[in-house]
Amino acid sequence: MTSRALGIGFLAPALIAVFIFFLLPVLLTVVFAFTNMSTSTGIMGGDYRINTDQLRGLPEAGISAPSVEKLESAGFQITEAGLTALADQFSEDAADELRDDHMDATFGSRRELERLLKDLDDPIRRTRDRKAAADLFAVTIVGERYSTEDEFRVALSATGIDSADHDALTREAFTGWGWTTDNFKLLLELPSTLRFALNTAFYVVCTLAFNILFGLFLAISTFYLPGKLANTFRAIWFLPRILPPVLYVLMWNWFTWDTGFISTVTGWFGVPPQNWMMQTTGHAWTVVVLINGFVGASLGMILFSSAIKAIPTSMLYASEVDGANRWQQVRHIILPQMRWPILFMTSYQTLSLLTSFEYILLATDGGPGRGTEVWALAAFHTALNNYGGNLQYGLGAAYALVLVFIGIALSALYLRLFNFKDLLAKPRIEQ
Amino acid sequence: MKTITHSIALAGAMAVTAGLASAEDINITVWAGGSNDGDSYRIEAIEIAADILEREAAILGEELNITVDGRRDFTGWDEFKQGVTLGAEAGTAPSIVVTSHLDITSWSQAGYIVAVEDYVDLDAWPLSNVYPNLMEIAASGGTQWGVPQDAESRPFFFWRDTLTQIGYSEDDIDALPGKVASGEYTLANVLEDAKKAVDMGVVEEGYGFYPRVSNGPDYAQFYQSFGGELMDADTGKLVLDKAAMTEFYQFFVDAVAAGVTRKNHIGTEWDQWYNEVANGRAAFWHGGTWHFGRYKREGNDDFWNTIQFSLIPSGNDAGRANTITHPLVYLVMNQEDERIEEVASQLIAIATEPRLNTLHAIKSNHLAVAQAQEGVDLYRGNRWASEATEVLLGSANAQPNHLQYGAFSEAMFRGLEAAWTGVQTPEEAVAEVETQMRATIGDDLIVR
Repeated sequence: MTSRALGIGFLAPALIAVFIFFLLPVLLTVVFAFTNMSTSTGIMGGDYRINTDQLRGLPEAGISAPSVEKLESAGFQITEAGLTALADQFSEDAADELRDDHMDATFGSRRELERLLKDLDDPIRRTRDRKAAADLFAVTIVGERYSTEDEFRVALSATGIDSADHDALTREAFTGWGWTTDNFKLLLELPSTLRFALNTAFYVVCTLAFNILFGLFLAISTFYLPGKLANTFRAIWFLPRILPPVLYVLMWNWFTWDTGFISTVTGWFGVPPQNWMMQTTGHAWTVVVLINGFVGASLGMILFSSAIKAIPTSMLYASEVDGANRWQQVRHIILPQMRWPILFMTSYQTLSLLTSFEYILLATDGGPGRGTEVWALAAFHTALNNYGGNLQYGLGAAYALVLVFIGIALSALYLRLFNFKDLLAKPRIEQ
Repeated sequence: MKTITHSIALAGAMAVTAGLASAEDINITVWAGGSNDGDSYRIEAIEIAADILEREAAILGEELNITVDGRRDFTGWDEFKQGVTLGAEAGTAPSIVVTSHLDITSWSQAGYIVAVEDYVDLDAWPLSNVYPNLMEIAASGGTQWGVPQDAESRPFFFWRDTLTQIGYSEDDIDALPGKVASGEYTLANVLEDAKKAVDMGVVEEGYGFYPRVSNGPDYAQFYQSFGGELMDADTGKLVLDKAAMTEFYQFFVDAVAAGVTRKNHIGTEWDQWYNEVANGRAAFWHGGTWHFGRYKREGNDDFWNTIQFSLIPSGNDAGRANTITHPLVYLVMNQEDERIEEVASQLIAIATEPRLNTLHAIKSNHLAVAQAQEGVDLYRGNRWASEATEVLLGSANAQPNHLQYGAFSEAMFRGLEAAWTGVQTPEEAVAEVETQMRATIGDDLIVR
């Protein structure tokens, strides 16, 4: 047992977790993004069928007119083969009666034939039998479902449709998903794409600035407070992060609704009640940035606080002896030593803000008028939320894939900026 | 002797096995989306139907034991639909679902549902008695996939007291539904009267016309009011009528400009909205037939003396007074065991029995699905059900069962939102909607 093998053994759980929770979703996103997958295509595969709605579109799909007409007019027909089967499986009397009175008759739908079977002198009484009996006379493939391409092609051949149309018909009949790059073409075409991208940039920059500046402010201001008081303040500012998002946003809603806190208070001064969150896009952005900002700032505060504590106190004492005031201490001693934590928070928060949308979803849901719809939220709305019920998994994944690429590019940039190798270099002091 | 004992034991064992074989145990799971306590009969009707089907089987000498498990505690439509579709992919879908008729097209293509017409006689009672137009709403691509579970309609509402204060007499108010239906009272009149109510201080600014707060079938009604058509009957393609769409957006922009509707109205809390319209804070608004029960819960016990209702008024000469019905449907999910599909379909048919459906209709303030329900005492005795059926259902149409309708509806609402909130002018919004629809709907769209 070499130490290398032991090392890999120890790493295995982490590697498996990385694979399942990081690599696999990314891989699936890549795969989905290049498909036209939606609710209607299903995920697992597809069958073959032509229904009456599709019939109308067949001429546009290049199917010849005689074939379309054949498909349309075929239905159910009383034929000798069918009658033999009927006599065999159900009732000879019924078969005889049909042969005498209705030979070669055609029916547009199974329902019409079922009605006839019910009205015979010797009717087929049970619903289940009647349906099975009617199916013996089917000469149509419209409305039928075939689970494999071969079955469909065999059925198609039996209808006598020109074989030149078989390939196109098979393509039209497939209900499952296929590979395509159309999702990305669509993203380029849609006017909303640019708006969502700009929204995202605006959201990330504003929230990030708020996060870092407010986090720094909290860290520095609590640093100068006596220990117990400082901890109390930090605990309070940490609340947004530990509250469940739904509860946290609900409090914001209550705060900003036109029957909420702000409206009530401003109402005392004669301001008419209004929805302070959804009034205008400006209101909505302010609230969205604050909601996310407070959550991010609390993390920054914790990180920055510990970084400040790591600054040797002797430097601060020395500066005080030299007569430096608080601002000079912050400006010349604390901030310069905070470069790495600030850079780290900036990069970490950029990446997480790019992909985060849950607080926006709960607060404004991208409104008003898609004004606060960010890229990640658009991906969610496309892939998992649609009034008509046909969810666009493929297009949603294409949205998400763009974020994955931006994320990877930014990560690479930050690693360079940080000079990651230097950070990982062995400490010189022990050499 | 030993042989005899063996034979008896064998015979006994066979008898027991035979007895077991004839007793059939079927587990049926019913998931109802968008259902609260008032909609309990969506599941309970299936339970009652199971009892009836067991009795029918018993008379035929078969022992059928049906266990019905119902579930309706979904947080919303999203959770319900994700549960159903992912369950269908994994082979763990419920046997019966109650859902929007708009799901039929995509779920049937995906193979998640099976056609009820494969298992029940559509020409037999009670399915033969269901309104044909409702039956059609539960069909797609020439196949009867499901059966309508309930019907509703989306009326326009007026607060009587407000109308009186701006000069209407009781008789005028009573004649309003007729005038709306004939096209004499239009959306232009609504705007005019709403402005009057705001200017006279009868209602606050922004409360003259108080529409729905989120996307839904309701907004397609206003598109129809201005002459828009959702689907072209000949080709089966969706229709973007740019003139109708522009005028429909313009109406809402005008309402905001006149101060009768709030610019930031979309996204208002539903609870707040219900409470306000139920208690006369708004002059005009629109909603659904189920609001009747909701207003009661919001403290308005006197619907008939406080509120008037009608079709959604027409917007111009091209349009018509209309209302959209958005029935939920019973659908049977694809099962490994075909026998479950058959029993599920039979249960759905029995649950459509006029008496059973009336229990749901009256308890949840929905409308009947079958003609005979008008003759059921419980239904006929309910003023709301019978008047709403009379005033609304005759002019009701449904949204098309079209695969791309979701994309259509979404784009239409986004455009409305953009125009309403002033992000774009109606013309700009319609231009963007056109680009969006052409890109997403493609060949299935006709632009006029």
